[in-house]
Amino acid sequence: MRGTGPASTVRGEPSESELVVRRFLGRVAFYVFIVIVGAFFALPMVWLVLAPFDAHPTLNAALPDFTLGNFGDVLKDPYALSSLGVSILLAVGTMLLVVVLAAPAAYALSRVRLPGRDLLLYLLLLFSSIVTGTAAMVPLFLLIFDLGLTDTHLGVVLVLAGGLVPAGIFILKDFVDSIPTSYEESARLFGASSFQILRDIVLPYARPGLAVIAVWVMVNVWGNFLIPFILLRTPSSQPAAVVIYNFYTEGGQADLRLISTFGLLYSIPVVVMYLFVNRRYGFRFYGGLKG
Amino acid sequence: MADVEIRGLTKVFPGGVRALDALDLHINDGEFFALLGPSGCGKTTLLRTIAGLEGATSGQILIGGRDVTGLPPGARDVGMVFQDYALYPHMTVADNITYPLKIRKVAKDERRRTAESVGGSLQIQALFDRRPGQLSGGQQQRVALARVIAYRPRVFLFDEPLSNLDARLRLEARTFLKQLQTELGITTIYVTHDQSEALAMADRMAVMEKGQIRQLDTPTACFRQSANLFVAGFIGSTPMNLLPARIVDGELDVAGCRLPIPEDVRAHVSRDEHLILGVRPEYMSLSRTEVPGALNGTVRILENLGVDTLVTVDVGDLRVQATAPDESVPTPGDHVWLTADPRHVLLYREDDGERVGAPRAAAGTSPGTPDVVNTPAR
Repeated sequence: MRGTGPASTVRGEPSESELVVRRFLGRVAFYVFIVIVGAFFALPMVWLVLAPFDAHPTLNAALPDFTLGNFGDVLKDPYALSSLGVSILLAVGTMLLVVVLAAPAAYALSRVRLPGRDLLLYLLLLFSSIVTGTAAMVPLFLLIFDLGLTDTHLGVVLVLAGGLVPAGIFILKDFVDSIPTSYEESARLFGASSFQILRDIVLPYARPGLAVIAVWVMVNVWGNFLIPFILLRTPSSQPAAVVIYNFYTEGGQADLRLISTFGLLYSIPVVVMYLFVNRRYGFRFYGGLKG
Repeated sequence: MADVEIRGLTKVFPGGVRALDALDLHINDGEFFALLGPSGCGKTTLLRTIAGLEGATSGQILIGGRDVTGLPPGARDVGMVFQDYALYPHMTVADNITYPLKIRKVAKDERRRTAESVGGSLQIQALFDRRPGQLSGGQQQRVALARVIAYRPRVFLFDEPLSNLDARLRLEARTFLKQLQTELGITTIYVTHDQSEALAMADRMAVMEKGQIRQLDTPTACFRQSANLFVAGFIGSTPMNLLPARIVDGELDVAGCRLPIPEDVRAHVSRDEHLILGVRPEYMSLSRTEVPGALNGTVRILENLGVDTLVTVDVGDLRVQATAPDESVPTPGDHVWLTADPRHVLLYREDDGERVGAPRAAAGTSPGTPDVVNTPAR
C-alpha cells in the first residue's frame, strides 16, 4: 500500500495520511476497550486496597478518608488474629499431608504398570470432588464424630487432604511421567538404592511439580469455608474464612470497614506465597496443566 | 576386566513377545563387541538383560565367571551409556560425573580428583560447572562417557550412543570411541542398528533378527561372507545383488549367462538346484566392451557415492548394481558388461536362505562340516 503513493488516491483508495489516522484511531479504540475490561476486573482489587484505610467506606472505590483505625478495630475482635494463624496451620498441615501422600503415590503409579491404573485415577479424581463437596457433609460429619475428631484441626486437615490427594496424585503423576526412566536406570546401574534415586533424582526433578501442588493445596484450604465451619465448634479455633462472618452485624448487614480490613489481611499471606513461589520456581505449569 | 558369557538366555515379555530366544554368546575380555540388527530384533533387550534392567525368563549371564543372572543392576559392575545419555539435568557436569562415586561413598577429594583426571582426558574440564542443558549433543556424550569411565566398571554397555548426534559429529565420535575403548581395554558391548558403525568399530559382531543371532563373526567376515540372506541384505551401505541362479551342466545359470561354480561350494550343490547368487556391488566390475560370459544390460540409474558411483543396470528382468570408479562411469543408456569377482560370489539356498557351504550357525555345527546335499530334484 505504502509504496503505491498518490496513484492509489486516484482510484479512490485511502491515502497514506488517512491510513495513519485510521490506524491511530483503531489503536485508541483498542486501548480504551482494554482499559474498560481491565478496570472491570481491577476495581474490586482497588476497593480492597483502599477501603481498609477509609474511615467511612462505601461500596464505591473512592479516595479514602485516610485512617488506620480500622485495623485497630479489627484486631479488637478476639478471634481475628488467631484465625489467621489457624488458617496458616490448616493450610500448611494439609499441604504437608497431601504432598507426603501424593508424591510417592504418583511416583509408584507412574512407574508400576497396573491393570486399570488410569481408571483408578479417574475414579479417585471423580470421587474426590464429592469428599469436599456439600453432598457428603452429613456422612463426613458422622465419620469425624465417630473418630472423635470433631472440633479438632486434625479432623479438618484429614477431610481436606482426603479431597485434595487424588487431584494431587493426578497432577504429580504427570510430572513424574515426564522424567525419563533412563535417569533412574542409570542411577540403578551405579548401585543407587530406591531411596537414593528418589532423593537425588526424582525429587529434584519434580520440584516444580511439588511447588505447584503445595500452592494449589494451600490456596484451596485457605479459601475453604464449609468444612471448618461444620467440623469446628470453638470460636477460637476457627480459620479466617469462617471468622470473616463475625464482621456482619446481627441483622446480616456487612460492616464494610471491618470486612474490607480483614479481607485485606486475609489475602496478604496468599499473595506473599504466590510471589515467593513464583520467584523461587517461576511457575512452570507443564504436563497436563498447561495454562 | 571381564569376559561375558551368555547361556541359553531367553526373555519373554508379558504379553508373549519372545524378545530373546535361547541365546548363547561369549564375549571375550577386552573385546569391542557390537550387537547389530533392525529395530525389534532384541539387541537392546539383550543389552538391558545383561545390565539387569530386565529380568531373564531363563538362561544365565556370567560376567568374569561370576553368575550375575539374579543380581540387581548395581551389583553387576557394568556401566551403561544410554541413547539419551541420561545426564541428570539438575546437577552440574562435575556432579554428574562424580555421582556414581558418591553412591559408592568415595570421599569428596577423591571424587574431585577422579573427575579431574577423567574430565582432563576427555577434554571436558572447561564444562564442569555447566548443566547438561547448556551442552551440545557431542559434549553431552563426552560427559556421559566420563561418568561411566569414572565408575570404572568391568564391562561397558553402549545403547546406540551415537544416534543422537548429527552425521558429521557421529563419524568423529566413532573414531574417538574406538580409540578410547582401545586405550582402556574394557570389554564393551555396543548396540546399534547402523551397520556401518558396527563394521567400523567392532572386533566381533552379532547380527540379530527376531531374538536370534544370525551371524556371529568379525565385521570383515560378516561383510564378505554373510552367512544368510538376512545378513547379506542388512550389512553393506549398498544393497547386495541377489539374483536367482540355477545349476546347469556344472555351471551357474544367471539370467541366461553362464558363470563357473565357486570351488568351495561345488561339493554342496546338486544338479538343477535353484539357488540365489549374492554379490556386493563393490565386487562387480563394469566394462563397456564385451566380456565373454558376463551379464550384460543397459545402464538405467547413476547414484554418486562420493568416491564411487553406484550404477544400476537392467539385465533382462533383473536389476543389478555395481560400483564404478569415477574415471569409468558410463552414461544412462550405455550397454555394459558386468563381471562378478569370483572370490566374492556367495550362493544361498532358496528354502532357508542359508549360505551354501557355510557352517550352520543355528545348528551349531563346527566349521568345515560339509552340508549333506539332499535337496529333492525339482
